[in-house]
Amino acid sequence: MTLAIALFDNFWVLLTVKLLAVVLVLIGFSLVIIYAELKIMAHMQARIGPWFAGGRYGWAQPLADALKFLQKEDLVPLEADSPVFRIAPAVSLMSTVAVFVIVPFSPTLIAEDLDLGVFYALAVGSIGTLGVLMAGWSSANKYSLMGGLRAAAQLIAYELPMVLAAAAVVVQAGTMSMAGIVDAQGPDALFTIPGTDIGLPFVMVGQIVAFVIFMIAALAELSRIPFDMPIAESELVFGYLTEYSGIRFTMFFLAEYAGMFAMSAIATTLFLGGWYFPGLNPSVFGPAVMMAKVSLLVFVMIWVRVTWPRLREDQLQSAAWRYLIPLALGNILVTAVLKVVL
Amino acid sequence: MTGFDPTLAMHHSETQVSVELQTPDMTLNLGPQHPSTHGVLRLVAKVDGEKVEEIEPVIGYMHRGYEKLAEVRTYPQITALVNRIDWVSGFCNEIAFVTAAERLMGLEVPGRAQYIRLILTEMTRISSHLLFLSSYPLELGAATPMMLAVRDRERVLDLIEGVTGGRFHPNFNRLGGVKPAAGGGATQKKLAQDLPAGFLQDTRDAMVHVLGVCDEIDGLITGNEIFWERTRGVGVIPADKAMEFGVSGPNLRGSGVRFDLRKVEDYLPYGDFDWEVPAGTEGDCYDRYLVRMEEVRQSVSIVLQAIDKIPSGPLQAKVPRVIKVPTGEIYVRAENPKGEMGYHIVSQGGRVPYRVKIRSASYSNLSILPWLLKGALVPDIIAIMGSLDFVLGDVDR
Amino acid sequence: MTESPSEAAAPAGAAARPDPAAVAERFAAMVDAASWSAEHGTAKVVVPAERWVEVHRTLREHLPFFSWLSAVDWSAEVAVGDPPAEDAVTGRFEVLTRLADTDEGKALVVSADVPAGEATIASLVEVYGGAAWHEREAYEMFGIGFEGHPNLVKLYLPDGFEGNPLRKSFPLLAREVKPWPGTVDVEGMPEGDGPSTENPEGGAA
Repeated sequence: MTLAIALFDNFWVLLTVKLLAVVLVLIGFSLVIIYAELKIMAHMQARIGPWFAGGRYGWAQPLADALKFLQKEDLVPLEADSPVFRIAPAVSLMSTVAVFVIVPFSPTLIAEDLDLGVFYALAVGSIGTLGVLMAGWSSANKYSLMGGLRAAAQLIAYELPMVLAAAAVVVQAGTMSMAGIVDAQGPDALFTIPGTDIGLPFVMVGQIVAFVIFMIAALAELSRIPFDMPIAESELVFGYLTEYSGIRFTMFFLAEYAGMFAMSAIATTLFLGGWYFPGLNPSVFGPAVMMAKVSLLVFVMIWVRVTWPRLREDQLQSAAWRYLIPLALGNILVTAVLKVVL
Repeated sequence: MTGFDPTLAMHHSETQVSVELQTPDMTLNLGPQHPSTHGVLRLVAKVDGEKVEEIEPVIGYMHRGYEKLAEVRTYPQITALVNRIDWVSGFCNEIAFVTAAERLMGLEVPGRAQYIRLILTEMTRISSHLLFLSSYPLELGAATPMMLAVRDRERVLDLIEGVTGGRFHPNFNRLGGVKPAAGGGATQKKLAQDLPAGFLQDTRDAMVHVLGVCDEIDGLITGNEIFWERTRGVGVIPADKAMEFGVSGPNLRGSGVRFDLRKVEDYLPYGDFDWEVPAGTEGDCYDRYLVRMEEVRQSVSIVLQAIDKIPSGPLQAKVPRVIKVPTGEIYVRAENPKGEMGYHIVSQGGRVPYRVKIRSASYSNLSILPWLLKGALVPDIIAIMGSLDFVLGDVDR
Repeated sequence: MTESPSEAAAPAGAAARPDPAAVAERFAAMVDAASWSAEHGTAKVVVPAERWVEVHRTLREHLPFFSWLSAVDWSAEVAVGDPPAEDAVTGRFEVLTRLADTDEGKALVVSADVPAGEATIASLVEVYGGAAWHEREAYEMFGIGFEGHPNLVKLYLPDGFEGNPLRKSFPLLAREVKPWPGTVDVEGMPEGDGPSTENPEGGAA
């Protein structure tokens, strides 16, 4: 027992354990999201979806897929810029894992509560696009190149509204710490349901505009329909993923779904009150509450994918620069004024 | 700037640091293996960023030389060839050919056979258009309409298979009539072959489902703002350009020309029914989509009227055992799902035609592509190509 | 190719389109055609090859829809298939275009003969842009030259392909390798108008 305590006091041991936990949790959740997407999409499209793998309801389908991908030969095109080509998937996946470090599941269950939590999340999250650009550039394939450049253009267009939307929340909460932001929507809330001391999440006290902008930008950053132009399979074959196979493809694949989870988790923390739910003790039910809220957002993302077609790159740019950024700026202005007035 | 152009933006920044940079256009080769070229079409596009400067379709990967083969096949054998031209509407391909040969021979086709031909033609049209309604949204990124449309297309194909024995290549028409593969069932052995038992009622049910799936796709896609953004004002074909290039069928009607060969030609008894010819106004991708959607509904209406009115009687006229077609020359055109399908037959009195010119719709519809795609964006290539709804077998013959 | 036949027997069923004989006669007068016919409902005018472009320019006003362009090889030297009838004029290519309108259903086949030895005709690309592909196809399939075509290269066939497949003298390789039994099994049957086995009695419901 004392040995265990001594071990956990050691910084390096603690770091390894935390990182391991983050990676495992992330991969586990990603597999669940992949399965959920297969199943939900199937049912929305009058299909059954996975059925055989795993014996019942095809629950082992994502595992089977992952195993299949791992067996495939890891091909590197002859003309490709080999080191960049090889490292790109890791960059993409790593950034998602790094975001996950600051996601709070309960007041205590958080890998690292940074004071600059929001800033860190947004900064690290956009590194993933760098991996995409690297993949596109190094593949020696014109489709990949166009996909990579589209992803880069998308990043420039969408990072700004996303940051501005998050900034409004930071202004309202008065802190950049993820735990602090959750507290500002829970126990320390400024706005409560009248007559009680139950805090309201930001999305219900004026940040609905920021929430919508954030979710749109998140879809764009994740390259999901309706913003999946970087991989647009009917135009660019598979965009920046065209030349990838085997484990490197799996890493990109995993990064996409882990990214969905990470983005939903950040949105939940910023706008939906994170682990906090009236009447439930956060230190016991916190992780469950958090997961429920995250799942809701993931479901919405899947729903959007099943429903909508794809935009065109220039239309996305014009939507971002002409509507979302001014709207987000206006939202910050209003939030700041009200913050001072109230 | 209408289209965003990352490479161009990059080049501007580089010239500012006074580096003279050669920026040659990139040649993008789409196909012959590409997810949305509907087969083995190859497009060699010169692109400047995402903008198409020049595009050249390369066809011929699917050329099977049917016009030459037709010169060494007897007339009944040719029907087996021609239904492979446009393989998603095989039945319709046979009609014009068989009609042309019958007119050369002076055969009178019995009414019931004509009605069966008409019903199956319209069901083939429904299945072809449902395939368009499934693949077009998919090319624009919406996967759900595909699942729904293909589900109900299957009902229609099953019915066609029930009558003809083939889902795509029925080879069902005979000179002088039709030859159903299915008899009336074991109990009716004595009765000659006819439509399978219960076909008419099953068809009514299937038509209800087809109308249902049209409404579902309408709800999902037709009013969707993103779909509008992608298709409205994109790929506009003016009516006079369309005619000059021989663009026909729904593509021509999308340009506002209310012209349907089923109304002006008499190869099948379409005059017996009450139906409308839909037409667009703008000539853009969206109008072509809407025209096809409406044509499905009109075809359903025709089928329902036809199965109510279908006469009884023989399925075949008397034909000689050895079919020799008298000397003559004829061109018969029919309204296929893709447009005008015609056969120009020159007969010299033998068992085989002297020359058969096959006029296929997709060939002419595709020939406008270099003109239409000049200046389009890469994503619009897919949107425009998809909206023309061609089949490579129909292009290459 | 008889002079103004009256054989325009419209098939049974109400034809909503204009009478083909009337259409052929009217356009024949308009372009001063050598002859016209309306066999089996197919209106056709024959014009001299020298006035090919001029005729189409005149017709474009009335028939804006360009359906197709192709040719027929009238040749006595036949490698596969049936030879032409004995009274047919051989040693020529018959170039055909099909024009139509898109309101009443008027349609016309325009025909011109070019000699087999010197098979060239003026290109229609300036009149109907859609003729470009059809002319390229006729060029590779028949070896007919189209003067004034902007890009007269092969359309379907690979670059190294030799010969013109739709010429009657072009052999069909499959038939060279293995003679087709098709003709045999047709000839094996008894001739005459006996009852067809494909036409059982009744056939009704």
